[in-house]
Amino acid sequence: MLHYVTVNIDGATIKAPKGSSVLEVAIEYGICIPHLCHVPGLSDIGACRLCIVENVTNGRSQVTTSCTLKVQEGMVIRTNTERIKRLRHNIAELLVAEAPNSRAIQDIAVRCGVKKVRYPFRNNNCVLCGRCVRACAEIWHANAIGFVGRGKNRHVERPLNMREEFCKQCDYCIQLCPMTIPPCDGPMKPGEEYLCGKCESQLMITEEVPDSCAWCRLGEGFNCGRYAGLKAVG
Amino acid sequence: MHKLATREDLETTRQQHLLDRKKINKTIIICGGTGCTASRSQDVINAINQELLAQDMDSSVHLRVTGCHGFCEQGPIMVIEPGNIFYCHVTPDDAHDIVALTLRDGEIIERLLYTDPVSGIKIRTESEIPFYRAQDRQLLSRNREVNPCSIEDYIAVGGYTALVKVLDSLSPEEIIHEIKVSGLRGRGGGGFPTGRKWAECHEAPGDEKYVICNADEGDPGAYMDRCVLEGNPYLVLEGMMIGAYAVGATKGYIYVRNEYPLAVKHARLTVQQARKYGLLGEDILGSSFSFDVDVARGGGAFVCGESTALMASLEGKVGEPRPKDVHTVVDGLWHKPTTLNNVETWANVPSIILNGAKWFASKGTKGSKGTKILALTGRIKNTGLVEVAMGTPIRDVVFTIGGGAVDGKAIKAVQTGGPSGGCLPVDKFDLPVDFDVLYEAGSMVGSGGMVVMDESSCMVDVAKYFLTFLQDESCGMCVSCRLGIDRMLEIITDITEGRGTLEQLDLLEELADTVTQTSLCGLGKTAANPVLSTLRYFREEYEAHINEKRCPAGVCKALIEYSIDPEKCTGCGRCKQACIHGAISGEKKEPHVIDPELCQKCGICRSECKHEAIQVK
Repeated sequence: MLHYVTVNIDGATIKAPKGSSVLEVAIEYGICIPHLCHVPGLSDIGACRLCIVENVTNGRSQVTTSCTLKVQEGMVIRTNTERIKRLRHNIAELLVAEAPNSRAIQDIAVRCGVKKVRYPFRNNNCVLCGRCVRACAEIWHANAIGFVGRGKNRHVERPLNMREEFCKQCDYCIQLCPMTIPPCDGPMKPGEEYLCGKCESQLMITEEVPDSCAWCRLGEGFNCGRYAGLKAVG
Repeated sequence: MHKLATREDLETTRQQHLLDRKKINKTIIICGGTGCTASRSQDVINAINQELLAQDMDSSVHLRVTGCHGFCEQGPIMVIEPGNIFYCHVTPDDAHDIVALTLRDGEIIERLLYTDPVSGIKIRTESEIPFYRAQDRQLLSRNREVNPCSIEDYIAVGGYTALVKVLDSLSPEEIIHEIKVSGLRGRGGGGFPTGRKWAECHEAPGDEKYVICNADEGDPGAYMDRCVLEGNPYLVLEGMMIGAYAVGATKGYIYVRNEYPLAVKHARLTVQQARKYGLLGEDILGSSFSFDVDVARGGGAFVCGESTALMASLEGKVGEPRPKDVHTVVDGLWHKPTTLNNVETWANVPSIILNGAKWFASKGTKGSKGTKILALTGRIKNTGLVEVAMGTPIRDVVFTIGGGAVDGKAIKAVQTGGPSGGCLPVDKFDLPVDFDVLYEAGSMVGSGGMVVMDESSCMVDVAKYFLTFLQDESCGMCVSCRLGIDRMLEIITDITEGRGTLEQLDLLEELADTVTQTSLCGLGKTAANPVLSTLRYFREEYEAHINEKRCPAGVCKALIEYSIDPEKCTGCGRCKQACIHGAISGEKKEPHVIDPELCQKCGICRSECKHEAIQVK
């Protein structure tokens, strides 16, 4: 039997199944928390830090990632305070500066209100969200790719850079990768990285209520939890 | 060696060893810690042994090789009892004189005595040395009493009496209450109340629980844990046993970094000897308490000092932290309740049990009790390990114990707490060593590193150094730590190379705040501290780099230029000879000049010049 707990997210009282994460509950309820490394059905590691929320206990609020935070009875969560918006904006800015040519990352940056990037662009091919690594390990138990190295040298690699036979060629890693989603028609070319801002219209929402999910087209591209959930149901 | 089946057995063994000790009244104590070993104390030990044999004194003098005494700079160190005679910088050639004069005739060898760098006076005994006198050495002073490789030594000086007291008369709740009342807080950096941690672990559901000793000390310039684990591993083990009894654990781990070979060796030997004596294993000393410990070696990652990363490493996984929304006292090693404490924290436990919580709480401040070992290094006269009561002002540590600045320079700042800590300027030196006060001031006690800097250090460069360290050591899992540190370093590099702007300074502050608030583990949450604290107290240095393109301390290479003062230059040619880039030219006895095109700003000429004619601007 499923046990339920009552949590309060952004003022809404929600009955949530015990053991689910705050992010899952919020998405299910239609509260939009931007996220990148979370994929429904895979374990959460809290790598992208975009889904941060404020967990308020005894009047003190703590910033933590909602994907790794399990719901508890009486929990009070704020997903869209000024503080969270500012921090999320800064994290999205760091991400988009790293991979300005990924449409998924650009979509996230737009959703988090990044209009101008204050860091030099880098045009990397990977932001180490770990979607591919976890999918490979947890869905197919193939462990054909994993993280190698530490800090700046961290990258995704096959075991010892040679054992190709572990790969079951399911292509799931490619489907989940935020870098492989076709770029938009915007003017992004290597060497000319900047945010055109044209996709802002896709938000279809006003600034006042960015916390509720308006089925914006931004989430579609990178398998936002809500779209993915829909797909699973459909 | 036989198994100690009961508590009476332990007492009998203790009396036996005490009797043995009493037979020999002369003891020569030589430090065999890593610091003194590096200055060849092993050769001294061998030479003394040979001399004792040659002069037929080996049966009347007891030679004890101990762990670190703290005054590593003066190594190899030797103390001769009775008399408390202190010899420093001892060489193997001195062995004959030491045995023949001091040990046989009680004569003091002047040349081996310590000279106080402040007053210039030679000091005879260890207790009179200002470096030691100003300290409160509760843990460190015990290092010299025992040979870390001998459990008999530890038993003789009262080892395991705290454990016996616990097994005899205290319930787990009473121990936890005692630790709570003592006010002991985690010595590893976080300063979390130890009693509360134990209580939560004790109350956590589950039959299988673990205790872990965190000896993965990685802060640059800090070696408190190494010294304690090397010098008195039995004390740490006894603390762990008491903790295990209190929280209900049956298995413990000592996680020690592989770069500490002596600590690994001593920890392993300790566990082996304790098992042989029956002090680890089933039904310890006839009680129903069973406990065993394994020693695990770290793989060289700084982040594995973080509790969850350490546990992942122990489990055989990649040493990466995980979110701590559920604390490790409930969901720790192998998802079982786990109590993880630092070496120094464990080492404090036996004395608290023996002397009572009140004794421990009598030292220190309102929020921080007991003593703290600090690794005092940098631009001061006396460097080494010091132990002071909590609440001692930083000024006392730097000037009274440390002896003040070297080379007549002015002290500018002290960096406390390692890469997670911050820099405090000299006008904050009246602040006490206290978890809360230093945290308020933007730094932290941390594990206890204390690097003193004088006017020749550029604070922007210091921040850059720590960011480079952290960028290397971050596991790279979460965006805010990996990219945040990377971008902070990018900005600071811009500033030190003269490309910085004032807008970047604001961005740096905002980014530092974001990294602090959103990082996953303690490494990221504190990574911005060196930046934030230097920005807070030394903003004018950042601004000088940006506005005037000038490095006030003359450190940042892109912003400085070497030149020769023609007034002071005597034309001796030393600099010209020393310059490996051929940048200096000039006739003999005529003022020389530096060609800025060729100069690589290595500073060799400056250290060679006897007339202080080389200027840095």
